Amino acid sequence: MKIPPSTRLLRGACILALVALSLMVWSVLEPTPTPVLVAMSLGQILGTLSLLAFLVVVLADMRRAHLERAPTSDSPPPSA
Amino acid sequence: MEIATHPLALITLICAGLAAIILIGFLVLRPPLVGTTKIWLLVGLGVFPIGAAAAGNIEGYQATKKRTFCGSCHVMVPHASDSDDITSGSLASRHARNALFGGENCYVCHADYGMFGTVLTKLGGLKHVYMYATQFHDVSLDEAKKTIHLYKPYPNENCMQCHSTQLDLWLRTPDHRSSLEEVRANRISCASGGCHGFAHPMTKPSPAEPKHSAFGMSAPLAREALDMLLSIEGR
Repeated sequence: MKIPPSTRLLRGACILALVALSLMVWSVLEPTPTPVLVAMSLGQILGTLSLLAFLVVVLADMRRAHLERAPTSDSPPPSA
Repeated sequence: MEIATHPLALITLICAGLAAIILIGFLVLRPPLVGTTKIWLLVGLGVFPIGAAAAGNIEGYQATKKRTFCGSCHVMVPHASDSDDITSGSLASRHARNALFGGENCYVCHADYGMFGTVLTKLGGLKHVYMYATQFHDVSLDEAKKTIHLYKPYPNENCMQCHSTQLDLWLRTPDHRSSLEEVRANRISCASGGCHGFAHPMTKPSPAEPKHSAFGMSAPLAREALDMLLSIEGR
C-alpha cells in the first residue's frame, strides 16, 4: 500500500520529535556539558523541524480542502 | 540528580513523557488524519515539546552554573575537589563554604559582570567546551595542571562584586589601605601568593600551599584553626 506523502512527513516529524525529546530528557537526567549542549542545539533544531513539518502538512491539507470546496461554491444551484 | 528538588526538570520529564505517548500512539495506531488527530498532533509536536524545551533549557542553564557541571571535565576535577574539601584553606574552597557561593562558586567567581555579563560568560563557557574537546580531552591531569590557564589575569572587579573595598572594616586592614589604588586598578591581584593566596593552589608549581591562607594565616595553621572551629561547632 502506498503511503501518502503527508502521512510520511508526519511520521518523520514524530520520529524527529521523539529524538529531540529524548535529547532533552538526557540533558535533564545527566546535566554535563555534552548532553546539555546537544539538547540546547541539536534537540532544539530537531524539535523545531518536526513542528514545521507538522505545520506544512496542516497548511497543505487546509489549502487542498479550500481548493476542493471552491468550485462547488461557485457552481449554480441544482434547481437553476 | 534529585528530580524531586528540581521542579523544572520534573516539568521537562512530564511534558516529554506525555508528548512521547501521543507520538508513539500516532505511529503505532496510524489513525486517519482528521481534525481530532491534528489537534492531538499539535499537542504532541507543539505544546508539550515546547514546554519540555522551555523548562529543559532553563534547567540546563541552571545546571551550567553548578560546580558539578564544571568538575565533570576531568581537567577540572582537582579544582572542584578542592572546593568540596572542607579542610582546604584555598580561596576557592573557603568561598565554596559560603552560602552565597555554595555549589555555584565556580560561576560566581568566574562570571563576567555588567550588562552582557551572562551572555559573555556563557560564550566563554562554550569556548571552554571547544578547547576541552579539541585540545584537553586526552591530556593527563598532571599535564593539564601545568598548561591550563585563564585567558586573561583574574580581575579584581570580580572580587569587588562582594568585597567593595569601600567599607570601614575592609579599609581598617593596613595592607588593604596601603594598596587600595593598586587593588582597584587591578595592578595587584587579591588572589596572589602575597595577598590572600591562590584560588587554586594545586595548579601552581610552587609552593604547593598558598603562602597566606585564611585570615592571613599559613595554610596548615588555617586548617588547624578550621578543625578547631568545626570541633567547637560539633559539641
